[in-house]
Amino acid sequence: MSIDPKRWRWTIPWLFLAPALIFFTWFKFVPIIKGLIMSFYEVKFVGADEWVGLANFQLALSDSALGAAAANTLIYVVSTTIAGGLLAFAVALILEGQALHIRIIRTAIFFPAVTSVAVLAEIWRILFYPASTGVVNSILGFFGGAPQGFMSDPNQALFVVILLQVWKNVPYSMVIFIAGLAGINRELYDAADVDGASPLRKLWHVTVPGLVPAFSVVIMLSLIRGFRVFTEVYTTTGGGPAGATEVIMTNIFKTGFERLDYGYAAAVSFMLFAFTVGLTVVHVLIKNRFSHT
Amino acid sequence: MKTIGTVASAALMSITLASAAEAADPLKVWMRYGDNEKAVLDQISKDFTEKTGIEIDLFLANTDFETRLARAAVGGSLPDVVVNDATSMGQLLDMGILKEIDRSAVQDGDQLHDVAWQSVQSQDGKYYGVPTSAQAFAVFVRKDWREKLGYDVPKTWDELYELARAFTEDDPDGNGQADTYGYVMPVSATRGYATWFLSDLIWQAGGQFLEQKGNGYTSSLGTPEVEKAVSFARDFICNGYAQPSAITATTGDATPVFSSGQAGIYRSGPYHLAPFSKEPGREVIEVIAPPAGPAGQGELAEGEAAFIMGSTEQEDAARQFIEYLISADGQKTGMAAGIDSSPIVRLPVNKNVDVAEVQPDKAWATYAELYATSGHYFPRVPNWKPIRQMTADGFNRILADCSSDITAGLAEIDETVNAELAKQGVRAN
Repeated sequence: MSIDPKRWRWTIPWLFLAPALIFFTWFKFVPIIKGLIMSFYEVKFVGADEWVGLANFQLALSDSALGAAAANTLIYVVSTTIAGGLLAFAVALILEGQALHIRIIRTAIFFPAVTSVAVLAEIWRILFYPASTGVVNSILGFFGGAPQGFMSDPNQALFVVILLQVWKNVPYSMVIFIAGLAGINRELYDAADVDGASPLRKLWHVTVPGLVPAFSVVIMLSLIRGFRVFTEVYTTTGGGPAGATEVIMTNIFKTGFERLDYGYAAAVSFMLFAFTVGLTVVHVLIKNRFSHT
Repeated sequence: MKTIGTVASAALMSITLASAAEAADPLKVWMRYGDNEKAVLDQISKDFTEKTGIEIDLFLANTDFETRLARAAVGGSLPDVVVNDATSMGQLLDMGILKEIDRSAVQDGDQLHDVAWQSVQSQDGKYYGVPTSAQAFAVFVRKDWREKLGYDVPKTWDELYELARAFTEDDPDGNGQADTYGYVMPVSATRGYATWFLSDLIWQAGGQFLEQKGNGYTSSLGTPEVEKAVSFARDFICNGYAQPSAITATTGDATPVFSSGQAGIYRSGPYHLAPFSKEPGREVIEVIAPPAGPAGQGELAEGEAAFIMGSTEQEDAARQFIEYLISADGQKTGMAAGIDSSPIVRLPVNKNVDVAEVQPDKAWATYAELYATSGHYFPRVPNWKPIRQMTADGFNRILADCSSDITAGLAEIDETVNAELAKQGVRAN
């Protein structure tokens, strides 16, 4: 029996991929499909589920609580993406390089990215404790400011939670930017120097265009992370006060696991999933256009 | 030869023993308790097994209990017996996983308080659980602080409010710093805490959640009485006499505020007596009846109940276990008599068990009296949970904004609750 070497060459990569693919199929793809099927049913816990067609989806589109949560999510996504992206870019410019002190600072800044969200949430609650004895309030008090309600104040809570996400994501994005900076051709800077370009012009005409792929990755990750944010919100405010920080995922969690309305929760989850996939596709299309021109 | 015979008979014996053990699987019991209650539950299982020969396979979970049950139901691996809050019955019934209980066939069933039985009676008059424990809510006060500042035990809302003010502003711990608060309030909307906390005040003000009309209900929160209760609670928060993060606090967040001596008033059940006796200390705390509101006394009564799952193949063993739980012996052990553990029976549901005999601390008698004289259960709609969540969301919204229109806020809650009542098929016209 002879093996066609050409065919064999195709099989090997798949063999190596197989364990991961089987794993993903079982733990990712199957649940996704099950979730999609569930969204067409009213899930009964004993006996057969009841087919309700598109009713769960229709309900989701007219649900005002979900609408409010979606609006909060949108504010959350836009602010974390813009603030987080710009801040990470600035930090990356400052902390680029190989000097020892820079590497130490970089490591320190990276800590929030590797710490568990539950711990971060607890730190946030201590920092932003709404009494005059709270850390941030003491600092405000030092400068003569009145103690703020922060996460207990419906007008401030979303902002404080956004700050947590920015703080947590900046180091991650910073690393991507630093990698991007390292990839920029040094000769371009030299040429700009010869032409007598100011630092600002170099930044705008050399660094920024060179970082387009990095920006693209950072924005994409931030959008996806933002739309399906859950732990950061649930562990700090639980969606409160007065629903001020309710996001799509906390809404899904409550309908699914507290009201045990699995079908409806599955429908909303699937809509969120489809939306995120759509967003990714649009992003890739825009990016491709950018890099081809 | 003798040795061979011994070995053979030993082998034979172990086979018979093994097959006897296989004959009956252990009874799978899930309970919504945690590690604090583990010692008392181990004792109960041990006593029960000694008495009946039935092994117990116990699973404890304090968090996400209903979610875990739902998962088990979907996966077809439900336990045989579940012990959970009696208020969860509607949801469990809705899931279709409960077996009906014939009240008259339960051994010693006639020894249980009738009001406790009512907590497991469904809309159709049938019973789907057996009550195992009851509790009412009272108010913990830092006695040392109160006496130091020269106040009497508060008996009315005004006195309670004044005491909270003094605890906040008059430095009751004498450290020269403004670091203490009055009333600890868990009024987050999560899992309905706001509703749970405000219920006492609503009844004390003469309000009620639902009005029963014939066989149906309508939401009755948009009344001047409820308004009084909500506005009373909001005054504590907006004037700074509640702990700072009250609006996002669950009981898990609130309890340490009292035990660590940051605040001096806390409403809670008898289960907190043991931990608070250690910290801040039995000698500095007192348990008092909730101060009366404009319409007098009133506080929430709750209870736990045991449910038999419809899918069980060991109905007889399940019944025996529940009968043991409600027997005088089982209730006394459940009250942690002589065991260093939090009790699973807060107040006995069995009339023949004397609280004072098992719990020498007089605070227990206070709880028992409150339960018997002015306890209110939440209304017995088919499924209270969604209503608990909706009302809590609404209350939280009102409490979070010191200038919001309370009347409008309550009218809004009425509307959503009425829609839910209609969905559950019990909306009166």
